[in-house]
Amino acid sequence: MLIAGQNKVAAQHELLSELDGKIGDGDHGTTMLRTTKVIVESIEKNNDKPIKAILATLGWDIMSADGGSVGPLVGSMFLGFSEAMDDQEVLDAPLFIKMVCAGIEKMHKLSKAEIGDKTMMDALLPIKASLEASGKLTCLVALTAVVVKAAQSGSDATVDMLAKYGRARNLGDKVIGHKDPGSVTIVLMFTGFAESIESI
Amino acid sequence: MKKFINNPDDLTQELLEGYAIAHSAKIKVHSDKLVIRAKPKSEDKVAIITMGGAGHEPALSGFVGSGMLDVCVVGDIFAAPGPPKVLEALSLMKRDAGIFFNVLNHAGDVMSAQMAMEMANQQNINYKMYLSAEDIASGPDTPRADRRGLVGSIPLWKIIGAAAEAGQSLDEVYAIGEKFGNNMATLAVAMNSATHPATGNELFTLADDEMEIGMGQHGESGVGPTKLLSADDTARTMIERLVKAIDAQKGDRIMVMLNGAGATTLMELFIVLRGVKKVLDEKGITIVVAECGEYLTVQEMAGFQMFAAKMDDELLSLWHAPCDTPYMTVR
Repeated sequence: MLIAGQNKVAAQHELLSELDGKIGDGDHGTTMLRTTKVIVESIEKNNDKPIKAILATLGWDIMSADGGSVGPLVGSMFLGFSEAMDDQEVLDAPLFIKMVCAGIEKMHKLSKAEIGDKTMMDALLPIKASLEASGKLTCLVALTAVVVKAAQSGSDATVDMLAKYGRARNLGDKVIGHKDPGSVTIVLMFTGFAESIESI
Repeated sequence: MKKFINNPDDLTQELLEGYAIAHSAKIKVHSDKLVIRAKPKSEDKVAIITMGGAGHEPALSGFVGSGMLDVCVVGDIFAAPGPPKVLEALSLMKRDAGIFFNVLNHAGDVMSAQMAMEMANQQNINYKMYLSAEDIASGPDTPRADRRGLVGSIPLWKIIGAAAEAGQSLDEVYAIGEKFGNNMATLAVAMNSATHPATGNELFTLADDEMEIGMGQHGESGVGPTKLLSADDTARTMIERLVKAIDAQKGDRIMVMLNGAGATTLMELFIVLRGVKKVLDEKGITIVVAECGEYLTVQEMAGFQMFAAKMDDELLSLWHAPCDTPYMTVR
């Protein structure tokens, strides 16, 4: 089908198996499991439509999963991916940069969290920064590698942060020494994207 | 904690089905997650919509009915409903008379409402959103955006619900909502934690001789644990802060509500209320409405929310207007 769509599906299949084991905090694991199921179902259901439409529907479907804060946040990122697209059906480096930056910006508007607040943005904002700085890179594989690295180091840095948002905010210093699970989800998601792109 | 549930994944769905059976004369469940009136209000009146997670029964959807809510959008246990369902509710109640949309200030609900409102604007739905944020736990200088919306929404719906039934315009209803909503305050106290019905995890931990003032309604921390106080001392500590927060003066009339969190007995609430009145009598402040009961619970949490609001003739008259909902009725 359409390369970009398949990338996303592959990414979510990666997530589904890894999440269960890796993220077990409270309800984030089950929320993301539900969310990724929704993502896979939504893509499979709309597989014959243009990618822009698939992503828009996907964003909205994620928001229907009623996952508290995660729904609107992650959903708005996919809506942002969609809004940045025209009718391309093939993913290349410039489109990847444009889409991902737009998605992250759209989530950021809703989230208001910045680097250091111990949230998904700690992984996402470095991704955006690395894409904006990547001007010369035209190879998608190299781009995704850069992106995953940025996300990973951003997420790793959350270990000793105090949480400024979410329910974790109320745990005070008890959060120190633990990575923010949302940021780990982001690393996994983009690692999935990268792996599926590399495998083509 | 042992609970009578089936598969945790089906909690919200099943509780709504049971709720609809118990109150079929007054409400029904529409589109899986919208609790609506069995007999809708006429089109020429302002509709009242709210949204929020399940797990706080009878709130929030227990107050759908004549004189109060038209629609309550229900999310998973303690989780905000997603934007699509919120938008569906706004679309369902779309009317020239307009919609009063109350969002209780919690991160998930605010984000979901924001996304739904973006879409609602595109669909030219006439609404005004009121963010209730009356929790004073974090102190008097806390910006409104950081204050949680707690039990105060319930008396708010009663008051603006009455204004809507009386045929007042959206602007008038909103002005009344602001008058009441901006002069109310809630402070919670927790004695024992509840467990999340789906995960079984304790929401928070308190030692046997501890209580915590300012605890949120999903277990979010307050000002930190303190040693247990007597009912009178607890009452005094809390009502003094509330009186200050709403700037109630000698000669003023106020509403006081003690909202049990689920495991605290009515016996205890009555004893605390007595302690509250003692303090208010000292200050020359009159209680014109006193409510004790369970309105917005947190599963089996032990504790309560103490609520106070300034009253005047208009608000009092609206409070006494008839309403007919599953968990609040005025004849």
